[in-house]
Amino acid sequence: MSAALMAGEIAEAAPRATGWRWLLRQLLRHKQAQIGGTVLLVIVVCAFIGPYIAPYDPLKVDALNRLLPPSGAHWFGTDELGRDMFSRILFGTRYFALICLVSVSIAAGFGVLLGLIAGAGSYWGDMAIMRAMDVVLAFPFILLILAVVAVLGPSLWTAMIAVGIAGVPNYARLVRGEVLSVKHEEYVEAMRALGAGPVRIMFGTVLPNVVSAIVVYTSYAMPVAVLSASALSFLGLGAQPPLPEWGAMVVGGRTFLRTAWWVVACPGMAIFVGVFSCNLLGNALRDVLDPRGT
Amino acid sequence: MFRRMVLLAATLGCLVAPAWRTPARAAPARAADTVLHFRLGEDPETLYNIKSLSLTVNSVLGAYLLERLVYFDATGTPQPWLATGWTVSDDQKVVTFKLRSGVVFSDGTPFNAAAAKSQFDLVLDKANASPLLSRLGTLRKVEAPDPTTLVFSFSAPYAPFFANIAQAGFGFNSPTAIAKSGDQYGRNPVGTGPYMLKSWVPGTEITLVRNPHFQQFRGDALNKGAPYASQVVLTVISEEAVAQAALESGELTAANVAADAIDRMVQNPQFHTVINKVVTNLYFVEFNETHPPFNDPAMRQAVSFAINRDAVVKAAFNGYAHTANDPLANGIPGYDAAIGAKYGPTFDPAAAKALLAKAGWTPGPDGKLVKDGKAAMFSLKSYSGFEVVDRTLSVIQSNLADIGIGTKIETADWGSFYPSLLKPDWDIDLMRWTSSDPSILSLLFRSPGHRKATLENAAQDDILDRCNTLMDQKARTACVGEAQISLLQTATIAPVASDWVVIFTQANVKDYNLDFFNNLIPGDIQVAE
Amino acid sequence: MLRYTLRRILLTVPVIVGILLVTFAIKSLIPTDAVTAMFEGQVTEAEGQQAIANMRAKYGLDQPWYVQFGRYVEGLSHGDLGTSVRTTRPVLDEIGFRYLKTLQLTFTALGVALLVGVTSGIVAAYRKDSWLDVTATTISLFGISMPAFFFSLLVIMVFSVWLKWLPVMPRGWEALLLPAVTLGLIEAAPLARVTRSSMLEILGREYMRAARAKGVGEAALLLRHALPNALLAVATIVGLQIGHLLSGAFIIEVIFGWRGIGELAVRAIEWRDFAITQGIILIGSGTFVMLNLVIDLLYTWIDPRISYETA
Repeated sequence: MSAALMAGEIAEAAPRATGWRWLLRQLLRHKQAQIGGTVLLVIVVCAFIGPYIAPYDPLKVDALNRLLPPSGAHWFGTDELGRDMFSRILFGTRYFALICLVSVSIAAGFGVLLGLIAGAGSYWGDMAIMRAMDVVLAFPFILLILAVVAVLGPSLWTAMIAVGIAGVPNYARLVRGEVLSVKHEEYVEAMRALGAGPVRIMFGTVLPNVVSAIVVYTSYAMPVAVLSASALSFLGLGAQPPLPEWGAMVVGGRTFLRTAWWVVACPGMAIFVGVFSCNLLGNALRDVLDPRGT
Repeated sequence: MFRRMVLLAATLGCLVAPAWRTPARAAPARAADTVLHFRLGEDPETLYNIKSLSLTVNSVLGAYLLERLVYFDATGTPQPWLATGWTVSDDQKVVTFKLRSGVVFSDGTPFNAAAAKSQFDLVLDKANASPLLSRLGTLRKVEAPDPTTLVFSFSAPYAPFFANIAQAGFGFNSPTAIAKSGDQYGRNPVGTGPYMLKSWVPGTEITLVRNPHFQQFRGDALNKGAPYASQVVLTVISEEAVAQAALESGELTAANVAADAIDRMVQNPQFHTVINKVVTNLYFVEFNETHPPFNDPAMRQAVSFAINRDAVVKAAFNGYAHTANDPLANGIPGYDAAIGAKYGPTFDPAAAKALLAKAGWTPGPDGKLVKDGKAAMFSLKSYSGFEVVDRTLSVIQSNLADIGIGTKIETADWGSFYPSLLKPDWDIDLMRWTSSDPSILSLLFRSPGHRKATLENAAQDDILDRCNTLMDQKARTACVGEAQISLLQTATIAPVASDWVVIFTQANVKDYNLDFFNNLIPGDIQVAE
Repeated sequence: MLRYTLRRILLTVPVIVGILLVTFAIKSLIPTDAVTAMFEGQVTEAEGQQAIANMRAKYGLDQPWYVQFGRYVEGLSHGDLGTSVRTTRPVLDEIGFRYLKTLQLTFTALGVALLVGVTSGIVAAYRKDSWLDVTATTISLFGISMPAFFFSLLVIMVFSVWLKWLPVMPRGWEALLLPAVTLGLIEAAPLARVTRSSMLEILGREYMRAARAKGVGEAALLLRHALPNALLAVATIVGLQIGHLLSGAFIIEVIFGWRGIGELAVRAIEWRDFAITQGIILIGSGTFVMLNLVIDLLYTWIDPRISYETA
């Protein structure tokens, strides 16, 4: 999706890492990082302590109290089965965090590996990997998802895996670009002259220099993953009810948009806030790690 | 300088925006020129009835464009429409129709026995690969000895015949038009119905105008002459929320509304509510009888008694449904309320628990029952994408938990769910089926059953087979009664509920009438000023 | 240069073949086909046996997969994408007019995206780290931070129901307005980001300071000196966006009822109609691959300094 475009930008940025503490200090001064980071921290904290602070059981069906508007007893109202929306939103933070983590890990894990091999390896290896990546990229997203769902059946895990697979080519391209640009740098030549094997060079020297580009890109890839997962819920191919995953909640409540807006608006805004914060953090990371910005 | 530019742009924007205000398009009010606006949930993939089983396709063709040999009246009895009468031979294998004369298609060509015969021949012809072939049963051939006589010959008596030919699938198309349009006929249907196709913007809108050659022969129509409305515009709106908004803004004359929005609109004086409680759909629970424990009728009965059908109606359908304790929906000919009352399940968790105890289940830890060391935990499957199904499943799960049975809900889209039932690894499923004929009972439950999960039961199978061969309505109804009793006694099916057809019309709309199978009779509709 | 061009063109062939093979592989994994999808829930297998067999025979679905693959490729060679089981019309007809609608939506949305994205990028770069930067960034990020269907429904509710600026069922050019604006806002974010960073980079360069010292006005500086250089990077992104959008922004299309190929893809999946699905995959990925090729070639042509290998 539009994350593909990030890969292009970031490859040009060629950032250089200069220490985590310096990074943190710079970020804390950046307005966008402050806002984005705080919200994300809240979400992560909720993901851990959610079950302990939730006022109701998010799965308990209470047919008598359906579609109650927000009130003192139910801060975000209740949904069509009488479940407390606030508790469901709280539990949903876990799925938000899970999607971010799993999809991006799959995409980054395979993508970085493939990118390293393509960039550092032989010409034919590069060709083969890049053509395979082209195939995955060219496939219309919705049909790629169908393929994965057809094999694995619809569920949240299937959605995360499918989104992860869709994200592999972008990471591969990004890393490959970086590897190619540092391939002939002096310090890599030096390592080679000293007799270091290709694996050592790849993981020991090249990778650390590519890390900042990967980090920045990841902060953009996470929101895309979350939104893609909720797009799958739209097709009924993602998280299945009664899971309190925000995307599934928005889709499940869409017939109530006119009659009980909170059933749709609360999870929708939750996704918005989460994704927006990721994007803000991403912007800040980019500003900090990009030496060409003023 | 820069700041000034930004301000200028913003001001211009604010000035221009309200100019885009366009008044909502409401139907013009002149009586001679009334236009009806209705909604389609999806674009019909074709308007050639022999190529499709789609409900959308059939609703458009059936209500507006095509007419059939018979229609069903309010008592569920077939009545003459384009046919004037019929006889059934003694061996019940030949049905002879007498056709009306003077009926003309909208393209001016005559409707006669030859035209009618060609419709059925097209379906029977293997080369056309028509899905409708599945609705002709044992029909062997159709003959037209003279322009007003049509003879159907079957290799064995086929009782569902009348109900099937009353559906839009067997509405008559003009053979001349088919010959002329060839492959494109699906975009240019021609029939004898009250309206004819004027234009079709694919994916968006279908516009129909009065058919000048139309004559009303249906006995259940209030308006015996030409349709009151001169045009009908069918717009495709797939999103529920958008359809509701269009109804409220006056852009739609009438529309179905999802169960949850009904309460709000019932109070609203802007609308009339048309609720049809005689329906042909049924939500029911069925079991995988090929392995324990649901090969035991007592287990199945227990589940059936445990379900709180009133709670389902309230939670899942918001009250706009009725509980079902009979294997047939109340709109299917042969339905008998007395049977449901006498033999059907009631909400009786105590009886359910007793049945389970007798079958050897004892209370185990954490509230679940245990037998032979295994806890009562079963899979409860259904199809995804519909809130009413999700909610019904939740209620059933909760009801079963109350009697100590644990269930794991698994849903998948219909295309994955239905084939998955052929595998033996499920226990209970929630199914919904719509049918206009009681043959549905044998199609679903005559062993081995539609998903090969029904055990052989010679007595029950016998009854079901017999019902399909009785062409005489009274005899058939009696047989179908026996079938219902048997299915309830063996608990092969646990009926749950049937949802109502709820339609809202603008307040100035009169006589929005539905026929026995809930198809619209558009010629009756009048819109006041 | 010519050799590079030829090589790149040749390389698209294995990609397309790869896509076709993957498509057929997927088809064999999915248990239902279009015929059973048509019958399920309406007609039981017992009733429909003969009809199902007839349909399978007519559309060649009873053949082994390699026969079907062979037939499909043979059909492709003379422009025949097969016939849809569901609509009984040639796939090319089905996709044809839908593709035009997707094109309409894509280019109108890109117009909106450029307007909103580039403008907010310029504003954000000009006043970096100020509240104007944050506001402009917020606007540009707005579209991309909302789930598409939530955003679409919101737009409909606000503009058609609450403000009544447009009818709920718009016709003609009005029907294009809301979906294009919604999609445009969603696609504006990457453009805003690229514009902002490109502008920042250029504004910091030596020749900019020289121009400022010479007394060139702020507006002229921004628009006539900095922007054109920044637009090169924007153009690349736009090219990639077109490629992606032409596979159909299916959520937008479904909710707004815009009958493009994205919406067709959703329906084809419901129908399990592989002829249409294959057609869309082919056209969607074919477009993407071609566009990528053109962009790569244009890029190397415009800026010969760029090494071929980093494409």
